[in-house]
Amino acid sequence: MIVWVRIIRMIRHSSWLLCTLVVLLGSARPLHAADPERIRLWHAWRGNEEAALTELLADWDGAPIEVLAVPYDALSSKLGSAIPFGEGPDVFVDSHERLGEYHRRRLVTAVGDAYEAGAFVGEAEVAVTVDGERLAVPLSLKSLALYVNDGLVPRVPADLEGIAALQPSLPPGTFALAYEANNAYAHAAILHAFGGQLLAEGDRFGLVGPAAEASIELVLGLLDAGVVPREADGALVTNLFRSGQAAFAMSGPWLAADLPATMRYHVEPLPMLLQAGARLRPLLTVEAVMLSPGGAARPEARAFARWLASANAAQLRAERARAVTARVDVSSDDPIVRAFAVQARDAVPMTTSTAMRAAWEPANKALRKILRGDAGVSDALAEAEHRYALVMRPPPPARSPTALLVLLGALALVGSFVLVQRARTAAFRTRVRRSLSAWLWLVHAVIAVGVLVVLPLVVGAATSLFAGPPGDVHYVGAANFVDILSARGGPLLASGSFWLTLLVTVAWTVVNVLLHVGLGLGFGILLARPVLRMRAAYRVLLIIPWAVPNYVTALAWKGMFHRQFGAVTGLTLALGDWLGVALEPISWFSRFSTAFTANVATNAWLGFPFMMVVTVAALGAVPKDVLEAAEVDGATRWQRFRHVTLPMIGPSLVPAVVLGAIWTFNMFNVVFLVSGGDPDGTTDILVSEAYRWAFTRDAQYGYAAAYAVLIFVLLSGITRGLDRIAARARDRGAM
Amino acid sequence: MVDIRLRAVGKRFGDTVVLDGVDATFADRAFVVLVGRSGCGKSTLLRCIAGLEEVSEGGIEFGGKDVTHLAPRDRDVAMVFQSYALYPHMTVRRNLAFGLELRKEKREVIDARIAEVAKTLELEALLDRHPRALSGGQRQRVAMGRAIVRRPAVFMFDEPLSNLDPALRNQVRVDIRRLHDELGATSIYVTHDQVEAMTLADVLVVLDRGVVQQIGPPIELYRRPDNRFVAGFVGSPAMNFLPGRIAEGAAVASVELSCGIRVPIPPGDIPATPLPPGTAVTVGIRPHDLHRDDAGPVPLTVELLETLGSHVHVHGSIGGVPFVVALEGLGGPGKGETITLSVGALHLFDVDRGVALR
Repeated sequence: MIVWVRIIRMIRHSSWLLCTLVVLLGSARPLHAADPERIRLWHAWRGNEEAALTELLADWDGAPIEVLAVPYDALSSKLGSAIPFGEGPDVFVDSHERLGEYHRRRLVTAVGDAYEAGAFVGEAEVAVTVDGERLAVPLSLKSLALYVNDGLVPRVPADLEGIAALQPSLPPGTFALAYEANNAYAHAAILHAFGGQLLAEGDRFGLVGPAAEASIELVLGLLDAGVVPREADGALVTNLFRSGQAAFAMSGPWLAADLPATMRYHVEPLPMLLQAGARLRPLLTVEAVMLSPGGAARPEARAFARWLASANAAQLRAERARAVTARVDVSSDDPIVRAFAVQARDAVPMTTSTAMRAAWEPANKALRKILRGDAGVSDALAEAEHRYALVMRPPPPARSPTALLVLLGALALVGSFVLVQRARTAAFRTRVRRSLSAWLWLVHAVIAVGVLVVLPLVVGAATSLFAGPPGDVHYVGAANFVDILSARGGPLLASGSFWLTLLVTVAWTVVNVLLHVGLGLGFGILLARPVLRMRAAYRVLLIIPWAVPNYVTALAWKGMFHRQFGAVTGLTLALGDWLGVALEPISWFSRFSTAFTANVATNAWLGFPFMMVVTVAALGAVPKDVLEAAEVDGATRWQRFRHVTLPMIGPSLVPAVVLGAIWTFNMFNVVFLVSGGDPDGTTDILVSEAYRWAFTRDAQYGYAAAYAVLIFVLLSGITRGLDRIAARARDRGAM
Repeated sequence: MVDIRLRAVGKRFGDTVVLDGVDATFADRAFVVLVGRSGCGKSTLLRCIAGLEEVSEGGIEFGGKDVTHLAPRDRDVAMVFQSYALYPHMTVRRNLAFGLELRKEKREVIDARIAEVAKTLELEALLDRHPRALSGGQRQRVAMGRAIVRRPAVFMFDEPLSNLDPALRNQVRVDIRRLHDELGATSIYVTHDQVEAMTLADVLVVLDRGVVQQIGPPIELYRRPDNRFVAGFVGSPAMNFLPGRIAEGAAVASVELSCGIRVPIPPGDIPATPLPPGTAVTVGIRPHDLHRDDAGPVPLTVELLETLGSHVHVHGSIGGVPFVVALEGLGGPGKGETITLSVGALHLFDVDRGVALR
């Protein structure tokens, strides 16, 4: 949607396009025409928090409030696309770490008298202050804290070393401390104890240097001692703690919502770390009320924002939604809320710098790699710093779009000239007149396809010619493409380069399609056997992988490949027991070969039913007597398949193979969810790489769009090639 | 180039008996036609002989060798299917070559054989076309070619002419018989068509409900049907059947039809074991065995005339039973006119069991 801003700017150069756009938008705008009286509020709250808001709003007696709940992940982009057009909210609730970006894009402005001086804790005040301006009013605080299973631990040690020392006394299969060790967000608590930071002064990469190394060495020690589970994600931490397999858990307020009411546990601030001589200090996120420039200009909107953050409101949110208030004058009776409140006062507010967005990915990658034992600490951290630098490199210099506009203008001119020439012939005019009624029938489809397909395509392609942070983009010509195709100046097959990723993508596609076709044909032929009993039941069973949403399957397979708790590991160990050999559990995502295999296994599972269904249908169209003729002619079962069945079903399979190839080429879900590009981005394919440039590397939409354009071009080429094969197959094929 | 022996061949699909104790021996180089109504088991019997169906009971021998459990490719048979079953993705040439290639024949041999067959069947111009580019008759010839190019010991034909138009059908029928005579293989041919059966067969096998009714040369079956089914099935138009009894107190052996008409039994048709007068019988008279005769005993009022050129089929009824007469020549009686007929030959059948009384 930021794209629109860019497009508008480009369009200012050409008035006729502007006219088109005005027509397009003109119909939409009046619908949203704001009632000047109303205050518009956007938020991303769910469940109890949303209920608390509704209850709260019932007491508001100012200007009427129009509330819109937006999913958290979409909030940022919706704000970015609405506020510049005066369409967005007056007041909205979001996390403070986005303030830096919002400020840069002028989506927020100083809140003025909405901020009640002296009412909020110091950390919250720091968090909402950017360049000396208060850009938001703090509402609630979120951070990690220490959950204690009172059933397992009679006395809580005062320090992390003490917690680790409990490990030998715990029942087997139980971990002393469960937390997401691979995740930089959680690791930050330990890093802070050593005096480090994820993002250092001047937006330098922080997870590097002695503090970072010491913090990671500490975690390595904890993993090796079996104190902390390996490769834990949020769901695993929840499961371990809930099932009594973890004595302590380092987690946020969300964990409490997943614990049964009967469980005996309490929450405390994070412990001391004797080795560092300091407490563990988690990152702090401040949920805050923000005002758009339009909202900040309205006194009643400011009053509303102030009221939302008032003591009464805070009290209600604490009671209803266990929100940890940012106010100094409100306290809760709930021991868990109190514990989080205490922790929040000893937490490190997340930076508001936009550079943080580019730091997460290299930090997470480095952590995963080191903790899996795939790389030395200092090497991996240096590499992470290098990656960060690569993402943060300044965008290409702005170029004058004149060349492009001249080219487009020339093309338009030539086009209209040709059109006019043709229109002057009588035959053409007759044809147009005769086809007018046909156009009437087509017009709605043309508009729909234009708006839903062509327009986004053009906008996406246009985006690839721009660079720069959102809100401050400039035209760079083909610089993004040059950068991508030249592997950013490094070796062409360097890690993460376009060419290496393309190679992986092609291998990924070929292997998958071969497996899909192989398995699909095999099962299809088995299912088509008329003598098979319970055919319907098998058919349903075999189609299930296709019917289940693919991200669900992907997550299930990722779980199965977990090194410590996965079903595959379980099978490996059981097999080892049975054979009497000690088989080591495989760390699936630490090597390219195994991670790629895991991805392929998942995608083969997802993709073969489609081929199978197509095969069954195609086999149904092979006449029985042709096969019998071959049998009489002397063909064995295999020869009948090879020389008769296969060539006859071939033409029906080719379109399915083309589709399958395209789907696989762009199979984002599996790659993103199963291996997540591990190890080290090597299993990423072009789409997941494009996604990372857009959404995890400082929002380089132009760069990502250039990837998308290249993918489009590649796929068009592949499709054309396969089409030609299909046509040839059809020519030879069935009558 | 083999004789074929069927020993009590039976075939069941679940509880359904399709073939029941089929015993037959077909001489080497015979042209055998299996005939019967739809669902009588004739195609199943053919498929059993070809090896496409496993028999449930009994055995099959080719030239004294037991082939009961051999796969089709080990039986040295070739088959022409009703749908032709050409390989749609192969050219005519490949269609012809396929069976030879599977048998690992040398390329020169294959080419020579294809050339020879193509010449015989006039397929030379079609060799590089795909089946979909051929007419029905051409496809039929390719199917024939595919069968003969392998020079099998036994040819199988499963209603090969039913998808052709009548004119072509007659011509191809003649071609098939001629090819058979030239190739000197044993042929087994399934049809439900009277004319094909009569004209092609050396040996005719009439099947009904999975049971062989009669085996023999067509003319034998026509002249001396063993039972009412064969009598009714062989010959066109079908034989007329009238209820009757052996007449009492007549000078010459006669039957009295239920309507009271007495018809003398021609000397050749009098049963060898005399039947006591009054015995109920079914009287079968072929339409061609009736002649116009002013003194004839059988009166018939003309209800409908079918003029075929050489013959006229006169439809009427006798004692309420539909009755057909085939008269030679063009000049038939007029509609509504009553003619009288004499009987040249008739057949007597047991009323209950339908077996011929002779």
